[in-house]
Amino acid sequence: MACPGVAGRSYGDLMQIRLPDPVPEYARLLPSDPSAPAGLVFVAAPAVGDGWSAVQAELTEAFELTRSAVQEDTPVLYVVDNAALLGQTGPGNAMVATGLLSAARTAAVEGAKRGATCNVLAVGSDSDPGDVALWVDHLMSSTAVNGEVVRLGSGHLGKALP
Amino acid sequence: MSVFVVTGAAGGIGSAVAHTVGGEGHTIVAVDLSPSLADRVVDLEADGVVVLPVQADLTTDEGLEAVVAAVRDAGPLQGLVNNAGITRDARLVNMTDQAFEAVLAVNLGAVYRLTTALEPLFSEGSAIVNVSSRAYLGNFGQFNYSMSKGGLVGLTRAMAVRLAPRTRVNAVAPGLIGTEMVLTIPQETLQKMVDNIPLARMGEPGEVADLVAYLLSDRSSYITGHVHVIGGGRSLT
Repeated sequence: MACPGVAGRSYGDLMQIRLPDPVPEYARLLPSDPSAPAGLVFVAAPAVGDGWSAVQAELTEAFELTRSAVQEDTPVLYVVDNAALLGQTGPGNAMVATGLLSAARTAAVEGAKRGATCNVLAVGSDSDPGDVALWVDHLMSSTAVNGEVVRLGSGHLGKALP
Repeated sequence: MSVFVVTGAAGGIGSAVAHTVGGEGHTIVAVDLSPSLADRVVDLEADGVVVLPVQADLTTDEGLEAVVAAVRDAGPLQGLVNNAGITRDARLVNMTDQAFEAVLAVNLGAVYRLTTALEPLFSEGSAIVNVSSRAYLGNFGQFNYSMSKGGLVGLTRAMAVRLAPRTRVNAVAPGLIGTEMVLTIPQETLQKMVDNIPLARMGEPGEVADLVAYLLSDRSSYITGHVHVIGGGRSLT
């Protein structure tokens, strides 16, 4: 079920893709796998701005959708902008990205015994949409990785990581 | 005389920070929602600390304005310690909307809004310390708290860039600290938690205060944008 008020779509009545409006170019191919498993892919808005209400709305929506997903023991993946995660694009975007990272770590801890995963995919603004779709499919279909952040591109190299 | 704002000043860590920083001769604007702030102020003044108490709800515009007004009257702002925080623990599957919203509003929203409200008042060479938590690395039953404290990490990094070179911004991430809140945990549960700490004990609020005071001082004048975990090695095992 798509979330009201945002661009989003269901896939096979199982996987929920939450997309911000406008949809980032790197997310335009999600999902690519026609047999996508159940779960939540939450693509965070890469430019939420520096107003608290927008930050609050984004994190609250992530909470509500994640709670629904874990109640079904399905995997969760947050897709965030790598520069936001590093704190390079302003405090609003940074709070969203790092807030989701810490939330993913906790959801991973809580879901670990049941085999439900929660991970983060950090993408660059110039990441190839095909690569993003590939990693989304992989992280949503494998239980081998949990509570982790996978970074695409090279923007994080040599940086102190959150 | 320099002015430092300490939020959550009635609590264990906040009170210790106010004592330590105030003991170095600085004026403390002590902020807390709790009426018990008055008792802490008496303790601080007994130790010779100059205190300006502000009882305020930092999730409201009125509360933020009260702090800004107090700082304007007090003198040049040299530091801010964003320490106020709450918990509303539950497993994510059972977490209520209210529990999520309350923790996010106090632990992250109020910090961001207070910091930006005070931004024009910071002096050259000033410093901000955000009190995050080891829970930003993930902690069972604390989705809301972990998200809020993780958000503080991003806020710290972004504000460190935005406010440089005038103001440094760092975060501390305490683990199990012997505050009044922690000491309400059943003894058996507490002991199990301590058993996972390499240094084999809880931390003391004063130990966190020493780290915060260091990060506020010129002794750390080349450190900005980082998270400093103070947890007895808990995150290593």
